[in-house]
Amino acid sequence: MDKIVAQYSRPSHQNEFYSEQEQQDLTETLPPLSLKFALPPVANPSAFLRAMTDDHSNPSCPIKLAHGTTTLAFRFQGGIIVCTDSRATAGNWIASQTVKKVIPVSRLSRGEDKPSNEPTPGLLGTMAGGAADCQYWLRYLSQQCTLHEIRHKRRITVAAASKILANLTYSYKGYGLSMGTMLAGVRTTASFLPSNQVGLELTSTAFIGNPQEGPALYYIDSDGTRLPGNLFCVGSGQTFAYGVLDANYRYDLTEEEALALGRRAILAAMHRDAYSGGFINLYHVKEEGWVHHGFDDMNPIFWKTKLESGEFSNVTSEL
Amino acid sequence: MDHFPGTWGRPRNDVYGAYDPSYLQSTGPKTHTTSPAVTGTSVVGVKFNGGVALATDNLASYGSLARFTDTKRLRVFGDQAVVGFGGDVSDMQYLDRLLESIDIRENYSSHGNMLNAKNLHTYLAKVFYKRRSEFNPLWNHVLVAGFDGEGKPFLSSADLLGTTFSAPHLATGFGAHLAVPILRRLFPEEKPIEEISREEAVDALKQCLKVLFYRDARSLDKYSIAVITKEGIDLKEDEQLEGQSWAFAERIKGYGAQTV
Amino acid sequence: MTSLMDHQARETVGYSFSESTAGVKQHGFYPYTDNGGSTLGITGSDFAILAGDTRSTSGYNINSRMVPKVFKIGGDDETGEGANIILSVVGFAADGTALKERLDTVVKMYKYQHGKPMSVSACAQRLSTILYQKRFFPYYVHAILAGLDEEGKGALYSYDPVGSYEREQCRAAGAAASLIMPFLDNQVNFKNQYIPGSGEGHALVAKKPEPLPLETVKGLVRDAFTSAVERHIEVGDNLQMVIITKAGIEEVYHPLKKD
Repeated sequence: MDKIVAQYSRPSHQNEFYSEQEQQDLTETLPPLSLKFALPPVANPSAFLRAMTDDHSNPSCPIKLAHGTTTLAFRFQGGIIVCTDSRATAGNWIASQTVKKVIPVSRLSRGEDKPSNEPTPGLLGTMAGGAADCQYWLRYLSQQCTLHEIRHKRRITVAAASKILANLTYSYKGYGLSMGTMLAGVRTTASFLPSNQVGLELTSTAFIGNPQEGPALYYIDSDGTRLPGNLFCVGSGQTFAYGVLDANYRYDLTEEEALALGRRAILAAMHRDAYSGGFINLYHVKEEGWVHHGFDDMNPIFWKTKLESGEFSNVTSEL
Repeated sequence: MDHFPGTWGRPRNDVYGAYDPSYLQSTGPKTHTTSPAVTGTSVVGVKFNGGVALATDNLASYGSLARFTDTKRLRVFGDQAVVGFGGDVSDMQYLDRLLESIDIRENYSSHGNMLNAKNLHTYLAKVFYKRRSEFNPLWNHVLVAGFDGEGKPFLSSADLLGTTFSAPHLATGFGAHLAVPILRRLFPEEKPIEEISREEAVDALKQCLKVLFYRDARSLDKYSIAVITKEGIDLKEDEQLEGQSWAFAERIKGYGAQTV
Repeated sequence: MTSLMDHQARETVGYSFSESTAGVKQHGFYPYTDNGGSTLGITGSDFAILAGDTRSTSGYNINSRMVPKVFKIGGDDETGEGANIILSVVGFAADGTALKERLDTVVKMYKYQHGKPMSVSACAQRLSTILYQKRFFPYYVHAILAGLDEEGKGALYSYDPVGSYEREQCRAAGAAASLIMPFLDNQVNFKNQYIPGSGEGHALVAKKPEPLPLETVKGLVRDAFTSAVERHIEVGDNLQMVIITKAGIEEVYHPLKKD
């Protein structure tokens, strides 16, 4: 009897409003800590996403995401050089010429990117591939690094930070993320926070593990790859940058030479790769932290390089 | 990720399989006729001084078959709102049940104020948007007519994707092509709606339905018309188009009674 | 629909809509459309402007000539009074509305929970994460957010559909972005403008961009749109301009060509 009653007293429609949980998610001021992403309710979400967003396979796809890049980083005796271009493309459209592709990671409060001669402690991440993917996940990594600092009262190692990111990208493998990122940082004993800064008494026994990681460079991409190394170029212009970098790279470069080499390699990529261009963004990671060495328009640098050194002789300088 | 600048950072075929463009169909009405079965065609609406008029024909087509010829596609909600449905008829009936249950709930509620046409439109648009986000759309394009919170005439549209827009006169489906130009000529945008009388509005709608009957193969000369004013809703559901002139058809091959 | 049909086959009499239609559905259904139009934003030393046309299109049809694309965020419901942030969205209008309402709710909740209005930089970051939550089923919109920063300077943030964002001086989005953006590069950031007589050949010194006064910027916005209307079919009807200064938010409409 109950069954029959239940059958006939069912509502004539489904509940067409958002569930309480959904409504709560909609009004939450902070983003959820558990990574919840809306998936298109189709059999193959990544194929759907690709159909909508792959501007290479289908130049007229409806949603074009910011893409394209040349980034490089290399280790040398004086630390790590990190250098990038600043162009973002959506299809053939140059979406921006002023993208900041070097993102400070670890310590959210130090995220502001102001040029200064004072070294800023922390890691640097680079951004290649989907601009949103890199920005979002490096931000997520910053959060994890900060939590690590609070929990363990010492700064995270580059190895550990890169592993967080690689585990993350591996868990999203096949979903359609696109990122090729490098993490650079130097961890020394100075990276242990003084106890007064944390507000907790620390005994020296808390310092375990490898205190002397030194300058470390890792490559992480959306396939889940994680590689330590001395020298990486990432992005659509990577081949051009490798060409210059491999020809001139030595571990014992002076700081001056290393900065010039980083800049020159990016310049070559900007010149030959249509998806790279804009400004040259140059960083140097030292023991005390990272230093910004300018965000400079490539055009005057290009002409200066050509006219003063005689390189780029394929281009005429006549007006 | 490979080393070719053009493909760098894009999904690789060896990881994601070949690019599948079947998710992208050319937009436009063609794609929308494959899934719905029994459909209604245009809805036309126009605001006038002190109210809104809304009209549809009474046909429900099954593909090219004129299947049901007395389908009422104007639904009254409360005492000052009317919804005109185009698109799938089963989804229309589903929405009708949904609206009915809301109407009952509102009537039993203690606050006593009824949803006006604007609230109703917002609600319907959200239902449409939610269903499209679930890839399970309600295959309708509706016009909502009535009054907003300030008592001003209200006419707005919502479709299966959740897209909404409002204008002094609106038409869905084929009417967007045939009726809107007529309405825009009769009531130019500069002309305030206070200068449009009820008779003018109703005549204009009749003229639109007539033109639609001439040229829209999925339309009918039996129609429903609702006039919403502060006094209430005047709904006529069994009207016949009058004063048709098929003289234009004489000159069109395959349309009239030509023998050659 | 298919999954509902499947249910019906199994059940007996009565309405058989289950609470949720679980499982994946495969439809020949394309969930997006493009409603055309264009938006643009420019900032100055103590103001920010967001502007957009008010045409809504689908294909070659004009749906309506009066659908605003710029919204006040975090203010009172109907009037937007008390807001200190503005948002423009262009692309798929239903997604745009959903996004706007979501951000609006978040900013209001922030105000109720913290007892102070949300800063523009915080709102900008939050909008980015909102967009990224839909990374795999994106909002088909290009958003621009504007307001005044902590120092009272104009702040403008532009977004791609999945939430990458950047603070900029100016940005055009939407159908006519490719027509307007080069104009703004030249007129706002003085790209490819050099100081006459500052040098020979490649030694010419580039003109340094500096914040423009409000009246100049208003003129640029109107010029940008009147020109875009001439060359893009999806842009026209009216220009909505929302100007945010420390005095508050001012909204003005100007007619554009209606052809």
